[in-house]
Amino acid sequence: MKIAHSTHNRLGFTLVEMTVALAISSIVFVAAITASIGLQKSFNAIDNFFATHMQQIRIIDYLSRDVKRALIVTTSVDLQSVSITVPQYIIQAGDPEAVANPSLIGTPRTPTISYSRSGSQVNYGSSTSSVVYAISGQSILRTENGVVTTIASATDQLIPQWTDVDLANTEYTNTTVTFLPIFTSANTAAERTGTTVCATAYLRNRRRG
Amino acid sequence: MKQPQRGDEKANVLICALGTILIVSMIGGSVLLNCATRYNVASNQVRGWKEALNAAEGGGDIAYAQVRKTVMDPSNAFAGWTYSGGVYSDTPVTFGSTSTLTTSSAVDIFYYDTLNGNPWYRIRSKGTAPVRGLKRTGMDDRMLTGARGDSLLRKVDFNYDHFIAAYGPTGDGTNKTIVPVAQPQVTRRIEQICAPITPFEAAIKCIGTFYGLGDAALIDSFDSRNGAYYFAALSPNDPHYNDSRSGNVEINSAVATIRGWVYGDVATNGGTIVRSQYISGTIDNNVPFSVPPYYLPRNLPLPQPSPSAVTDAVTIIPPAPGTEANPTLYLLSSFSGQLTVNSFGSQKTFVALHVTGDVTGSIDITPLVKAKIFVDGSIDVKGRDIVNESGLAANLQYYMISPSDPTTRQHININPPGNFAAVFYGPSADLTINGNPDLKGAVVCKTFYANGTVGWHYDRELGLEGDAVDYRITSYVEDIR
Repeated sequence: MKIAHSTHNRLGFTLVEMTVALAISSIVFVAAITASIGLQKSFNAIDNFFATHMQQIRIIDYLSRDVKRALIVTTSVDLQSVSITVPQYIIQAGDPEAVANPSLIGTPRTPTISYSRSGSQVNYGSSTSSVVYAISGQSILRTENGVVTTIASATDQLIPQWTDVDLANTEYTNTTVTFLPIFTSANTAAERTGTTVCATAYLRNRRRG
Repeated sequence: MKQPQRGDEKANVLICALGTILIVSMIGGSVLLNCATRYNVASNQVRGWKEALNAAEGGGDIAYAQVRKTVMDPSNAFAGWTYSGGVYSDTPVTFGSTSTLTTSSAVDIFYYDTLNGNPWYRIRSKGTAPVRGLKRTGMDDRMLTGARGDSLLRKVDFNYDHFIAAYGPTGDGTNKTIVPVAQPQVTRRIEQICAPITPFEAAIKCIGTFYGLGDAALIDSFDSRNGAYYFAALSPNDPHYNDSRSGNVEINSAVATIRGWVYGDVATNGGTIVRSQYISGTIDNNVPFSVPPYYLPRNLPLPQPSPSAVTDAVTIIPPAPGTEANPTLYLLSSFSGQLTVNSFGSQKTFVALHVTGDVTGSIDITPLVKAKIFVDGSIDVKGRDIVNESGLAANLQYYMISPSDPTTRQHININPPGNFAAVFYGPSADLTINGNPDLKGAVVCKTFYANGTVGWHYDRELGLEGDAVDYRITSYVEDIR
């Protein structure tokens, strides 16, 4: 019977066919898995790179904002922290104005003018605010009058460095932020250098220190 | 009869293909999601945040230009601005490459200088930039647990203006209200303080040609706040030595013949100093500068009804002591007589005279009087006609109003005999000093000529005296709330 004969011819593969097919399938499967893992790792690295890059920009933006309105900027010897003195623009609880009139808390302060032999000076209140940027473990901290904010954190060794340069009546701050990407070759220094983001910010006020 | 071949094998291929597509799609979707977040933050929020500051500072510049006009073009200062409650406000200005940035400013006088009466201006500017793209918050979730970064730095208003809602339109906590925004935006606010620049920062400031003061003349300085003048420029151990070497001369011309001793710095604009051994300070021949014309201040009060002219002996006793910012004003059509200005009782008294013609008469101001004389014409007097009983140059200040026609000549001629203490500000006037007077003061003039043995003593206190001739931004602060 022709049909039976035809069916008999399609009963299965030979052992050789199966072996070859299995080998090829295994290779394809392994290749696919490897490619997927590699792709995922690569994506993860790139994702992490740009996430950390955004944190670099954030550190610089924070610092630039504070330096522009600063009166004094001082960096530490190891360049790992920077202290900034800024005007106390907003009346805070406990300030003399607030004690006299509590409704003034949270309102902008009207400046006063003082005179010295070097000229006149604009003062927002009798005291100033202190802002400190520093590294703490894997985080970059911004501390304003004792209030700590983590402005950046990453597991890939995010390191900012600050330098300040005094000029006649102003100064500027150079900020360099680097990190160590997940994927590195043997030359980690070069890998870190390749991530450098830097910026310069000038004081808008006359330098007082 | 043909039957489908290996139908089960086709199904396996389909499953494999779908699986692969699924994996690739998941990776692609993840990439897209993260790229969109990055793009949203990096390209839209960061850009908007920076552009908002640019807009705010642009608004500050617009307002600053108006503040400068108060002395350089008083009749057009704050033209088109709204004035209410002591505050000038402009209508929002739109600019930028796509006209999407907006800025507005408010300007008020928050302080009158106690030393010279000049107003200090406060500029509050607001800049707004749109945040394009998706309404997504920043990347705080990508940091370690508990960290907050973007949301404290770049405060994006997605639906409502958070500042007006929380602090009110002016930030003082009043009139807080919910204001929807048409599209996501970032707004930044800055406050700048404009300080007056006073005119007498050097002993002599000359815009054009300079000749003087005579081979045996000298220019030195002292500080009347530390005591009366005596010559200390050659005594390094003298306690007033440091005050004695600020007799600076600034010349905006290469045509400068400097004679006599200068105990201070000399600056020219392309000149060559050949007698440098007579100059104690720094010589710089590359210092160009400009001095704008001078206009009558805009904040003078209404004048007193009399006197209206001084053609013979006239004595003035002001009806009130006045203040630096609000002196008693007299409008004089001529000044050829002898004018004596007395104080209001025993109080420090502030007087302003506006002379619409020339000054050829004499003036005597008593010790408690501080007088400013605004002259539309020219001055021709002898040194003895300028009697300033206090001996403080800051108490007698002459201001030469620049002619509306720049070709009109204006001059200050001071002839012998007589010594005096006064300051002259005449950026459009030619100054000539004849004879050998001993004077305390400072001058700003168009051209300078003196050929006698002049003793010129600059009072360092004058650095803070005089009417504002310009403004500079002296303070900058951002409201980061």
